[in-house]
Amino acid sequence: MASAQESTQPRRTVIALPGELPDSGGARLLEEISAAISSGARAIELDLSGLKRLDSRGGAWLIRAVRTARAAGARVDLSGARGEAAELIELLAGSFEAPRASARPAAGLMEAVGQKAFGAWREFGDAWRLTVDAAYWSFIAPFEGRGLRWKALLTELDDAGVRAIGIVSLLNFLLGLVIAMLSAAQASTFGVQIYVASLVVMGFARELAAIMTGIVVSARTGSAIAAELATMKVYEEIDALKGMGLSVAKFLIAPKVIAVLIAVPILTAIGFVMGVAGGFVLNAISLGFTFDRWWEQTLQAAAVRDLLQGGVKAVCFAVIIVMVGCHNGLRVTGGVRGVGMATTRAVVMDVFLIVVADLFFTTVFYYFL
Amino acid sequence: MDRKPIVEVRDLVGGYGGHLVLDRISLDVYEGEIVVVIGGSGCGKSTLLKNMLGLLRPVSGSIRYWGQEITTMDEEELALLLQRLGIAFQSGALFNSMTVGENIALPMEEYGRMDPALREILVGIKLDLVGLSGTAGLMPDELSGGMKKRVGFARAIAVDPRIVFFDEPSTSLDPIIAAGLDKLILDMRRLLGITVFVVTHDLASIRLIADRIVMLDRGRVIFTGTVADVERTGVPRVRQFFDRQPDKTIEARGVRTP
Repeated sequence: MASAQESTQPRRTVIALPGELPDSGGARLLEEISAAISSGARAIELDLSGLKRLDSRGGAWLIRAVRTARAAGARVDLSGARGEAAELIELLAGSFEAPRASARPAAGLMEAVGQKAFGAWREFGDAWRLTVDAAYWSFIAPFEGRGLRWKALLTELDDAGVRAIGIVSLLNFLLGLVIAMLSAAQASTFGVQIYVASLVVMGFARELAAIMTGIVVSARTGSAIAAELATMKVYEEIDALKGMGLSVAKFLIAPKVIAVLIAVPILTAIGFVMGVAGGFVLNAISLGFTFDRWWEQTLQAAAVRDLLQGGVKAVCFAVIIVMVGCHNGLRVTGGVRGVGMATTRAVVMDVFLIVVADLFFTTVFYYFL
Repeated sequence: MDRKPIVEVRDLVGGYGGHLVLDRISLDVYEGEIVVVIGGSGCGKSTLLKNMLGLLRPVSGSIRYWGQEITTMDEEELALLLQRLGIAFQSGALFNSMTVGENIALPMEEYGRMDPALREILVGIKLDLVGLSGTAGLMPDELSGGMKKRVGFARAIAVDPRIVFFDEPSTSLDPIIAAGLDKLILDMRRLLGITVFVVTHDLASIRLIADRIVMLDRGRVIFTGTVADVERTGVPRVRQFFDRQPDKTIEARGVRTP
């Protein structure tokens, strides 16, 4: 029964199009084609002689209908198109063929691991070369008479140093309060509240001032360096510099390196003073020692060794911040979006490396010095 | 041609901050016509375009689309009107984080619901029209400058706008592609009935596509007419422009930030 009915169906179906092809008409056309194919039509003729107007959306419906039919294995012919509709169809001829898939083959697991490892190694190489270049142009070239951009250095010092004093002071002061409160709670159980003074001064000298300042400068200056260099790269300003035969390290990086290396230790020193001040304010509010007694205890606890440890860390953090910023800024690819990613990457890498370096130095001082 | 203009600019005065660039500009655009605005660098072409697209608010004067005044519209009304216009920016202005296809599909998605399969075909059509078939999956930074620009055109015509604005379409395109673009503009007008407003100083393109030429000089309209009118006119600045004659002395033309 079914097979008899199939054989009586026409093998060729003609579908006439209306005068225009809005969304509703397009959807109906698609339905008609699907119906014709499911009832066995192997060849479909689309009669376009009635079609008066066609916009590109109507054209898209027509293309969709033709592709649907061809995907189901039917032959499709367009006939009778006239005037502007015919011209538009002519213009769109290429789109009637289904597009070729142009997917890139995905890398296998081993290949992906290899690529990552190779990429990391290459990145390390790039960073190392950049650091050597920056060190030369910052500390050797100026003494060989090859110049330093003083004006840029002053601007950078202002940006990275002077403008950061307020926030670095405030945050270290608040951290001083917090540390004093935390330790006072413990110390009061043994009745040794006066040692809160020692703890605050030691903590800030060795550790807290450098870390807090490092993180603030990373967020302010590290990110700014990465964003600035990345934007310059995207807009081909870096290529322009190189194209003029000028050194990127001399023009852009050396002023930043020197400025951050000066700024971070000084900011750390300011942060240290403010942290100790925060501790004293808590004493004044709730522990009740006289200033003289507190000051005496602070001086007793402060040791050159501790200050030295904080100083070494500050210099190291400065190197990390400026080089990570420059490195990430200069390796940006992919236009505007890359700028955001480079900045994010710089800050995350900064924080990670700062904590790792901190662990390293604390260990060295604890066990070996 | 219907003689009722669809865009009317009247006595437009505009500029940046206190610096006035446009000095009482008036012009009309009629349905289905190709208007080309020309003029030397810094004459106010881009400022005019920005005012007409509501990207800058004029100091005084009126701009009407289909009789609606846009200088007094609020953001929402303006946005609705802008959806009926297409804009092709000078450098393409593609969204860097999206593929070519997504860039073109964006206005289709945002202006109303559309079946994804149909949208994909439409994106393909638009790319075919600008001669970039098969690039839908690429990222903008994988394209050359000229290709980015053409993707910008495809995005401008994504939703079959009634009026398309082109800012310096042929700058930085090679002559073959520039000619292809001229053909595209003519085809769009003829087949889709789109009105086209072009800012350019490409003489070859002007001669080929312009129905009407509006020339600006120092913020004023100094000439309006067809290509044939240009050949006959005696306005010295227009003659100088079309004959490519240099200024006798290089006068200070005023530096303008866009």
